[in-house]
Formats: sequence, C-alpha cells, structure tokens
Amino acid sequence: MKLLFHKIRIPLIAGLLVVTAAFTVQAQNPRIQTISIEHLVAKASRTIDVNVDERLMKMAAKLLSDKDIEEKEIKQLVAGIKGIYVKSFEFEADGQYTTADVESIRSQVRGPSWSRMVNVTSKKDGGLEVYLSFQGELVNGLAVIATDDREFTVVNIVGPVDLDKLAKLEGQFGVPDLGIETTKAKPKNDK
Amino acid sequence: MNEDYLWDKSGEPDPQIEELEQILAPLRYQPKPLELPVVRRRNYFSLAAIAATLLVALLAGGIWIKSRKQQTPPQQEIVKFVPSEAEEKEPSPPAVVVTNTDLPRKSIHKRNKRIFTKHEREEALAAKEQVLLALRVASEKLKLAQRRTQTPPPNQIKNQHKVG
Repeated sequence: MKLLFHKIRIPLIAGLLVVTAAFTVQAQNPRIQTISIEHLVAKASRTIDVNVDERLMKMAAKLLSDKDIEEKEIKQLVAGIKGIYVKSFEFEADGQYTTADVESIRSQVRGPSWSRMVNVTSKKDGGLEVYLSFQGELVNGLAVIATDDREFTVVNIVGPVDLDKLAKLEGQFGVPDLGIETTKAKPKNDK
Repeated sequence: MNEDYLWDKSGEPDPQIEELEQILAPLRYQPKPLELPVVRRRNYFSLAAIAATLLVALLAGGIWIKSRKQQTPPQQEIVKFVPSEAEEKEPSPPAVVVTNTDLPRKSIHKRNKRIFTKHEREEALAAKEQVLLALRVASEKLKLAQRRTQTPPPNQIKNQHKVG
C-alpha cells in the first residue's frame, strides 16, 4: 500500500492542485449562470434576455460617442466591464416561479467573494437583493435579484462597476421605458 | 575451300580462324556460379527532408498570403464608421461606402479608428442596444433599492402621527 501511494503521490498531488485551482477560479468568477431559470421563458408574458460578453462590450463601446455627454458617461461606466447579463421575466399570474428558481441564483452569490449590500423584503413590493463581488478591495462584479409576485429579474455585471454612476443613469440613454415598475407608483421627479 | 571447320570444326583447320580462336579464347564461355549484384538500400531520408521542407515552405507561403488577404478589408463591403443616433442629429457627413480599392492603407486605418464591416457594424449596434437595455434595467433596480433603503416604511409615519 505504501509503495502504491509512493508511486501515485506526485500525480495525486498535481491532480488535487488542479481541482483546487479550478474550484477557486470558479468561486471567484462573478459570472452567474441562469440556465436553471431558462424554463421560465415559456411561462413569462414578457422576457428580457441580455447577453453581452466582453467582445460585444468592446464593440458596443466603440459605437458610443465621446461627443454626446450621455453616451460619454455610459462609455466611461462600461469601460472595463467584461459582460452584462440580464434575465427578466414578467408573468400575468402570481406564483409562476418557485423559491427553488430564486435559490438557484442566490446560491451562486453565497461564495466568499460576494457580499450582500442590500436586502429589502416587502410583502407588497417583493424582494430586492444587491450583491457585489470583490477581488481584493476592488469590485469585480454585481448581481441584482429582484423578485415580485409577477416578476423575477436577475442582473449580472462582470467587471468593475460604479454603483452610484449606474444608479444615476436611470432615465437616460433615450431608451424607451421598459415599464418594469408598472405595478408600483413611480415618483415624478425620477428622471 | 571447305568451310566446315568454321561451323563445326569437322573440316580442315583454317590458320586464320585458329588465330582468331586463340585471340578470342579468353572470352569463351566459362561455367561459373551466378553472382548477383548486391542490392544497396537507397536512403530516402534526404529526399523526404527536401519534400518536407518544400511542403512547409508552401504551407507557410499559403498562410502568409491568406493572412495578407484577411488584413486587407474586403472590397465593396467597407463601411465607414457611422455616428450614433445622437451624432446623426447633428449636421454631419453621411456614411460613406468606400469602393475605391486603390486607396492607400493609411487612409483605411485613418487615425487608428476601427472600421467595421457591414456585418460587424450591425453586430456592434445590436450589442450597443443590448448594453443600454441592460444598463437601464440594472439602473432601475439599483435606484429602486436606494429608494427602498432610504425611505422609511409608510406605516411608521402613520404611527408617528397617531402618537403625536
């Protein structure tokens, strides 16, 4: 037995190191997988699905103008971001998604690199959780999980994110209102 | 003269023929075992090496030519960078389709600006729209989180009034 262990000692240690490294990298990766909630597309009355990886981010950034103030702000904001992923489902009836669906996302932000910054739970307005992923002292990812009776949204940004700037961007870009918050009263001076 | 000696040595010998016989005697057939020539195995290594070198050179040449073609933007499909919607509102020169392929390379990569092909530009525009949409969703949710964390619950205010 000792001889066998002696023979396989080095490959065993190497293998363990590789596995450990793979798990560490996976744990530090702020990319959230949303395959587990793909089935909700069939139930949703409205779905927003955004998948922009690093290559597309760079291409999109090139089209953002430096002359336009709004686009310049966005360009600065997305500089360094490696990916933006959004999955948002709106349903016509209550209870179309389960706690297991939410948990499949939530479990991914329980790693050591993630920190929950905001957790608001309300029976009337639903739940809203904001998580930040850190690499050392630097933010390298953002995750937002918004749940409501008839809505389930997951936002995942990979890369350095300025939360203040991102929050201030609401109502800009000339993008038509998505009507995501249609069920809630929106302040008039929101823009 | 009887020529039988010449054919089968039966007639009277001819001195001239005898002389010729003596001269040619060493070349007469002498039975001896067959000696096959030793077959030398030819060494094909050098040939193979030359062939391989030629093949590698041809491959390298092909790749180089192909890469040169790829570096040069495809003719007729080069679309100059078109400004975004905001820029389009301003009076600016319209998008230009470059068809003159005799232009020097410097003009194609003017000021190091990346020029997209038609397909790339469409992809980039779609990506830009997606990014804006995603940022809007993210921004709305963050703003909502800010509002919810900053605003006190409405019931609390009501209770304060009741107490007051």
